[in-house]
Amino acid sequence: MLPFRVELKTGSPISEQLIYAVKKAVISGLMQAGDKFPSVRTLSQELRVNPNTAHKVIAALINQGLLEVRPGIGTIVGKNPKPTPQQRSELLGEDVEHLVVEAKKLRLDLEDVTKAVEQHWTKLS
Amino acid sequence: MKPIIETTNLNRRFGRNDVVHELTFQVPEGSIYAFLGPNGAGKTTTIKMLLNILQPTSGGARILGVDSTEIGPRELAQIGYVSENQELPEWMTVSQLIDYCKPMYPTWDDAFCEKLLKNFNLPPHRKLKNLSRGMKVKAALVTSLAYRPRLLVLDEPFSGLDPLVRDEFIRGMLELSEQSAWTIFISSHDIDEVERLADWVGVINEGRLHLSEPTESLQNRFRQIEFTAGPETAALPPTLPANWLVPEMAGQNVRLVESQFGETETLNALQRIFPGASQPNINPMSLRDIFLALARTFRFKGETT
Repeated sequence: MLPFRVELKTGSPISEQLIYAVKKAVISGLMQAGDKFPSVRTLSQELRVNPNTAHKVIAALINQGLLEVRPGIGTIVGKNPKPTPQQRSELLGEDVEHLVVEAKKLRLDLEDVTKAVEQHWTKLS
Repeated sequence: MKPIIETTNLNRRFGRNDVVHELTFQVPEGSIYAFLGPNGAGKTTTIKMLLNILQPTSGGARILGVDSTEIGPRELAQIGYVSENQELPEWMTVSQLIDYCKPMYPTWDDAFCEKLLKNFNLPPHRKLKNLSRGMKVKAALVTSLAYRPRLLVLDEPFSGLDPLVRDEFIRGMLELSEQSAWTIFISSHDIDEVERLADWVGVINEGRLHLSEPTESLQNRFRQIEFTAGPETAALPPTLPANWLVPEMAGQNVRLVESQFGETETLNALQRIFPGASQPNINPMSLRDIFLALARTFRFKGETT
């Protein structure tokens, strides 16, 4: 089992989807500083992805400071992945884009969309 | 990257049949190469030539840098091979099979072998003839992995296996990724199993190679395109660009597969040929859908899934 959730879709590159999923897990607190991160082998076995893809993902996350290498232990979640508000809002980027595209297809204007978002927001709070 | 397998105009004829025709491709070290094609496309014949089980009629192959007709124990000790129709010494037990294989491989790793046996739930003292097909395939995989081969060649390893065994098999073969040097060459007519694993794809049909390229470049150049043609287009024009595969029209709706996608080139061509068309929906395709589009275009014979 993996310590983060991901559902791979065809279309966008697997490595990007994985990096996004890990960032989401770290920023939302599902994974915390010091938590052990799965190895290349485990990632590739669990998700049935190419080990080179798994390697690329881990290297990118280390490079971005989300993961740290601990000799003898492996890779762990970094100490300072404190998300900036911008990173937090980036998490919604894809979903918002999707919403905007759908709204434009239906020829709604911004006001309609904001209203719909507000309605759902109040419904859930 | 240096190729670990390299074929040049490889041919094999049986009687009058060109079973493998002018095959030229390379498998880079460190890749998982999926060799795809319908049943009877020439996959097994190709693999047998790579491993010197069959001689080429003409042309040649190099494997681990050595001409395939000259490979011997030194090279074979670095190659793992599991095939669909592998014959095992059925009278042996699993542990006897292991004792039998072990002396042939200087790099045999006992601890790794134990781990694989445990992961695969293989009963060590049961005779092979009393094992299910899935168990036999797993036993064959253990004896091909335990010496940590540099190259693992798998010929249709999944056919006839239930989903659980397939999953165990894939996990097993991915154990190799812990090593510094590994390559997996896997032939299959079952694309779903290798979709996300393969970073290189070769497609063969009737002995001829249709393509051999990185999965990423393949997925970059293929798109499914769908749009509404507009009232002035009553039917598909008789000639469409050759890189548009399987064009179809139903009512006003047009669907096709662009095999050389380029944002501007494709949109310009669409505009030129279908001037009244709606904004097209352009979607990336799975390996499976790409393979099916090729199969329909080139009328692949045999079963594909």
